[in-house]
Amino acid sequence: MKKAVHYINQFFAGIGGEEMADYKPEIREGLVGPSLALNSMIDAEVTHTIICGDNFMGTHTDEAVEEILKFLEGIDFDIFIAGPAFNAGRYGVACGTICKAVKEKFNVEAITSMNEENPGVDMFKKDIYIFKGGKSAAKLRDDVKKMADFANKILNGKKTGSADEEGFFERGIRSQVWLDDKKTAARRGVEMLIKKLNNEEFVTELPIPKQDRVDIAHPIKDLSKANIALVTTGGIVPVENPDRIQSASATRWGKYDISNLERLESGVYKTIHAGFDPAAADADPNVILPLDVMKEYLREGKIGKLHKYFYSTVGTGTTQKEASRMGKEIVEELKKDKVDGVILVST
Amino acid sequence: MCNLVPVALTVGANRIVPTISIPYPLGDPLTPKEQQYKLRYHRVGVALDALTTEIEDQTVFKVKF
Amino acid sequence: MKLEIGNFYVKDVLFGEETSYKDGILTINKEDALAFIKEDEHITDVDIEIAKPGENTRIVPVKEAVEPRVRPDGRSTFPGVTGELEACGNGRVHALKGVSVLGVGMHYGSFGDGLIDMGGEGAKYTLFSQLINICIVADTDEEFERFEQQKKNRAIRWATHRFAEYLGNIVKEMDPETIDVFELDPILKREENVSKLPSVVLVMQPQSQMEELGYNDLVYGWDMNKYLPTFMHPNEVLDGALISGSFMPASSKWSTYDFQNFPTIKELYKEHGKSINFLGVIMSNLNVSLEQKKRSSIFVAQMAKSLGADGAIVTEEGYGNPDADYIMCIRALEDVGVKTVGISNECTGRDGASQPLVTLDEKADALVSTGNVSELIELPKADRVIGELEALARDGLSGGWSYDEILGPSVREDGSIIMENNAMFCGDGISGGSIKTMKEF
Repeated sequence: MKKAVHYINQFFAGIGGEEMADYKPEIREGLVGPSLALNSMIDAEVTHTIICGDNFMGTHTDEAVEEILKFLEGIDFDIFIAGPAFNAGRYGVACGTICKAVKEKFNVEAITSMNEENPGVDMFKKDIYIFKGGKSAAKLRDDVKKMADFANKILNGKKTGSADEEGFFERGIRSQVWLDDKKTAARRGVEMLIKKLNNEEFVTELPIPKQDRVDIAHPIKDLSKANIALVTTGGIVPVENPDRIQSASATRWGKYDISNLERLESGVYKTIHAGFDPAAADADPNVILPLDVMKEYLREGKIGKLHKYFYSTVGTGTTQKEASRMGKEIVEELKKDKVDGVILVST
Repeated sequence: MCNLVPVALTVGANRIVPTISIPYPLGDPLTPKEQQYKLRYHRVGVALDALTTEIEDQTVFKVKF
Repeated sequence: MKLEIGNFYVKDVLFGEETSYKDGILTINKEDALAFIKEDEHITDVDIEIAKPGENTRIVPVKEAVEPRVRPDGRSTFPGVTGELEACGNGRVHALKGVSVLGVGMHYGSFGDGLIDMGGEGAKYTLFSQLINICIVADTDEEFERFEQQKKNRAIRWATHRFAEYLGNIVKEMDPETIDVFELDPILKREENVSKLPSVVLVMQPQSQMEELGYNDLVYGWDMNKYLPTFMHPNEVLDGALISGSFMPASSKWSTYDFQNFPTIKELYKEHGKSINFLGVIMSNLNVSLEQKKRSSIFVAQMAKSLGADGAIVTEEGYGNPDADYIMCIRALEDVGVKTVGISNECTGRDGASQPLVTLDEKADALVSTGNVSELIELPKADRVIGELEALARDGLSGGWSYDEILGPSVREDGSIIMENNAMFCGDGISGGSIKTMKEF
């Protein structure tokens, strides 16, 4: 039989309320409080229950997580369940924190449950499965059942459904599905439009996500002493593309020495970007990577230094995750080389 | 520096200088080389100045040509 | 304007002595057909192969798909492409249903080419697996682009259009089994019970982003890169006024077959007079510079408003920077008070966690999603390959690759493949046929 471990707080363990919220992590063999319900519904044996005070987890997070991960090192388990935490804020954050840590360390699925108003939802819904739970412990059995039903699909190797179908908070992971009723996009679009025209409710298939905001960098005080680098997502590379950067859905980037060049010559550099007509950039790569004018600004003394390398990748079909990873890797290098500012030309 | 300013705004870029198109951001091949160079020199200059400018929100810097 | 499409339902396609159509059986004399295709001297080598639904057959690189058709009155099927320029959308056209003519590279593929699996697990990824595909497998003398990633594929694409008309000719004089009628009265001369309904336009954004001519969709033979939005009758779209291009990644493409059967137009027709008053099509385009994108959205919004549209559906042939045209157009329409729905696919990354469209706007609150271009698809070896399998990995098809340190090449030694949905021929059914959607997991 598969094995499960359950995390609960001091209150549900029957240790005490607010006065016991500093209770240190403890692991017990067998079932405590809500674990009984879980054990009766899940296709696994709940072998251990971990108990921790909500305040202890909140104020000594690193210590609590480390201690609990240490408990689990010697234990064989297939799935990790925490809560349900209802609308209890500290408990929800604790469940999210420990689920995320356990999932990362042991590579098992971690499942919890919270009410939509619990602050733990927004903090952790992208990392773990958080089921939509009730506001208070009156919903304990219902909430445990939702987690157990889903856990059973995972434990039995069955296909799991979408966030909507299963009842967990959307994790920001989208995937294509074939509709059982085979309703075409044309039909769905026309029906959606008729509803919109008649001021009836409709459901978009692509909710507009909240926009990313990046912290604003401080301005450079003295450009004439600054070291400026050129970076592009326009796919400018030496013609032989030595780093084999993909022309779409890129996962690689390259850096190329321009310290002894005055401009990028056609036939020596080109673009490998497949998302646009390459003719102009192949004929004059400076239209994407403006080396020629940067060298002029360097001669004029407008900038103190032009960084020795330019960095390049391709920005078409490239996933946000890959783009963000490549960006971070390039920034690492730029920081190491004491670059003060970057001109990023995108296409 | 980019042509698709709405994309740059959507992904959260803060200092944005417009370029003229996707395939040739900094030099229209239908214009003489000198004119392309002039345009590129101007817009890259705006971008360099943008790096020295204090801003409080996402800002699209104005270009002359 | 009144268009009658006379349907002939093809149940099987065979090679035989006499090129003919009888009792649902389309017979092709291969020798005659090859001679006809070779009339174009740019076709240097050609074969015809037939692929049927359910077969363990893989077709790649597919460049174009066309439904065989002909006009009994002698006008060309694709005006400005297969013959003289004539108006489309009125009168009778005969169509062989359930089949498509595919243009397939004998060896070489290009960025916008795709793959079709006729059977097995791969069949669900494209609606073209449900048609009997008459494949023109050809090589050409277009040496200037043989090793280019972007190819115009002119000779093969034109062969496909010409051959579709050649096959259509077989039923030119015959009585169709059924007739579909597409008719709209002039906008200002409609019955009151129609004109009182909410008025709707369809805004189409066909692919037109290559500034060098020859790669883009054509309208009446005209390259849509040099084009501004125009009001068109939906019948013109269904009747051969538009020809697919050779640039957009395959799963996002509208093939000529898609234009001829455009599901979103047909659905709007179904509701016309019942729940909506279908005004017609604002044919826009897709562009590469912000100014061009804005200009098109200004034209579209003005036309929709002036026509009195209450609602619009916007649909784009593409993803990536075309999303900027798409969202901008939706926003421009909403800004002038036209309630708008969008239909497109998304690029949400192999992990499904990327921003789905490159630009977003809260006014785009009613979107239909037809798939994710970047989902990975792994498929076993197929018994039979039409075309050249290696093209998927070697020739820069969007969605294929020759090298990846983790995934290996797209085409493996044992004939199995791994690719992005990008390379599925018309896989995202953006013309409206997609039964896929996107869900959160």
